[in-house]
Amino acid sequence: MSTEFVRHFPIFAIMLYFLGAFLIVMLGKVRALRHGIAFVATAGPLALLIALVKPIMIDGGIIAYWMGNRVPAGGYAIGIALEVDALGLFFGLLIATAVFVSCLYSFRYMERDDNVPQYYTLFLMLAGGVMGLVLSGDLFNMFIMVEILTFAAVALTAFRNRANGALEAAFKYLVVGCMGSTCILAGTILLYAQARTLNFAQLSALIPGNLGTSTKLAFALLFIGFSTKAFIVPFHPLAADAHGAAPASISVLISGVLTKSGIYGLIRLTYFLFQTMELGTMQFWLVFLGSVSMFVCVTMALAQHDFKRLLAFHSISQIGYVLTAVGLATGLGVSAGLYHAMNHTLFKGLLFLAAGAVLHETGTTDLNRLGGLAKKMPHTTALFLIGAASISGIPPFNGFASKWMIYQAAYQKAAETGNIGFALVTIIALVTSTLTLASFVKVSQSVFFGRLPKEYEKVQEVPFGMRFAMGILALLCILTGLFPGLVTKYLTEPAARAVFSVGTYINSMMGEGTIILQNPVVNFAQAGVWSPINWLFLLIIALLAITIVAISGKYDRVREMNAEKPEGKYDLFFGGEESVYSQVGGEDLFWGFKHNWRHYFGFMHELHSGVVNDYALWAVVALALAIVYATIVL
Amino acid sequence: MIVFNYIASFFLIVLGFYCIVVKYNLVKTVIGLSIADYGVNLLIITIGFNPGGTAPIFTPGELTQASYFVDPIPQALTLTSIVIGACVTAMSLALVIKLKESYGTLDTREIRRLRG
Repeated sequence: MSTEFVRHFPIFAIMLYFLGAFLIVMLGKVRALRHGIAFVATAGPLALLIALVKPIMIDGGIIAYWMGNRVPAGGYAIGIALEVDALGLFFGLLIATAVFVSCLYSFRYMERDDNVPQYYTLFLMLAGGVMGLVLSGDLFNMFIMVEILTFAAVALTAFRNRANGALEAAFKYLVVGCMGSTCILAGTILLYAQARTLNFAQLSALIPGNLGTSTKLAFALLFIGFSTKAFIVPFHPLAADAHGAAPASISVLISGVLTKSGIYGLIRLTYFLFQTMELGTMQFWLVFLGSVSMFVCVTMALAQHDFKRLLAFHSISQIGYVLTAVGLATGLGVSAGLYHAMNHTLFKGLLFLAAGAVLHETGTTDLNRLGGLAKKMPHTTALFLIGAASISGIPPFNGFASKWMIYQAAYQKAAETGNIGFALVTIIALVTSTLTLASFVKVSQSVFFGRLPKEYEKVQEVPFGMRFAMGILALLCILTGLFPGLVTKYLTEPAARAVFSVGTYINSMMGEGTIILQNPVVNFAQAGVWSPINWLFLLIIALLAITIVAISGKYDRVREMNAEKPEGKYDLFFGGEESVYSQVGGEDLFWGFKHNWRHYFGFMHELHSGVVNDYALWAVVALALAIVYATIVL
Repeated sequence: MIVFNYIASFFLIVLGFYCIVVKYNLVKTVIGLSIADYGVNLLIITIGFNPGGTAPIFTPGELTQASYFVDPIPQALTLTSIVIGACVTAMSLALVIKLKESYGTLDTREIRRLRG
């Protein structure tokens, strides 16, 4: 396949989504037609982007595409450009995968709702917005795409507007999200005032080294703007509200796709546009924000008793890992961060879809009212457990592979710089990982195990279409965990290399020789390597042991019951007094831990007051701090 | 004096954010969003403005080195931004109507079922 031909793929990938949205408005009344259009419009971009893996990821090419062939004249970019390097393609692949799976899931999940054509229109607009954002090479275009995706996301959050809190969540998200968008626009135009161009590559060539007061202000504005899209602290309450209220198939997009677009914006801003990542303070702030996000959100998640709201806080906690790793500014760190971003999309998507399956069958996501669903929904339970094991970082699932790399990158950074703080980050990450596991023990205990409440006796397994979508994600979770070598070699390392090749990025857009920047040598070596296959065998052996014990215990019990002997209570593993069953609610499982930390939890509960003015105030304070930082340090 | 435009635009942005933070009425929050948006629009137009410049409309061949005109790109950006601002207002007001229907109030302090 010649590169001439491949060059047109990115614009087709973006336009297919928007074209699909447009066609569904016209033809979406018919169910089969609607599903057909949605399927083609989501599968097409995925196929197009997979076709780009060879020329971009493996051969290391960059696609620079000028709309209407308006190439730069006199050294100034006047046209609108798409630029796809390995980083953009990496995020594009994540987005296309998540959108495709979510679309498959929606076919059955949304069939009981009314106004389904509008749902698919907004769904495809959201997908097109994010895809346009990550493939665009033009700062103003990025702003337009941010607005499109914010709008579609707000509308979809309020889609089930009779659900508890959906309108409220949408309004809060709209207010703070639009404050973020306003910041992005103001930052964009301040950069334009300085450089008289909106092309990303040309800005990256002109801005670093020529920082005036207005460009410093622009940095702060853009940073806060993209942070609101990534939902890092202090913008996490919006994510929690929006995820909890939106339909599950949209929660997948908000957590797997929207937050990624924010992370992508932050990477482009710090590594490319301003090239500030050599600064120690910039690294410190990104790592600090990431660590705070992961710890605060995981503790917030422990205190939740709504399934989807809990998952939402975990989602931001995992985004904290990604930001921390990206902030390390080493080859291994960025590679690990991107790996974790990919895993986050996969396992978080899986968990949200499982939560959606529970909601679809029982009509509630309240952890205190659910229980014992494993008997009724065995496949969903198994898929959920795969997702839970992945997010908690249990080998051999994918969460472990990326977290392991993040720990290593942080230690490596500590050894290189002699700064003990980076080693502390590893400890925070480990503690967070443990708390994540604790919270998923709670969820699986109170949703899938324990006793089945009377009202859910008639619950059935979800339709095959939904299980199939979850199965795809579960399979990807296992595969990316078992073959970390292949993933890093073909996906994350080319993307991480692209992050450090600003000079190549600029020159392939603006013509050779625009700027002479030596690409730094990027080191991906790990201090300790692990083999997931060994852990897989260990897992299989452990599962076998559990099965054997369980089966033997059951046989014993049957025999005892037949013989009516009371000696059962002295049996190994299965002995003990027969107890009265008591439901351990989602709130109570870790009551001891929560009691010791009651001041902290009380404080956090007070802080997340739910009043939109407070969240807006946090945003303004964050903006003020960013402006102060940018003026002093940059 | 073009410097007043810059001062006014940042004043409007700050005023809009202040309004969002301080006012407890949903409609006033929406007004705050709009004001901040207008501030940015004014900023964009001001950046593209050249005092004494003509409108940037030329037929092929008419454009010479001596032509002096205002920058057309920010004007195009402002148009886009105005459209987006109108969408924000429309959508947020639609949400406000629905919120009033289901909560029976416009006070942000009482619209807080999702918290903690």
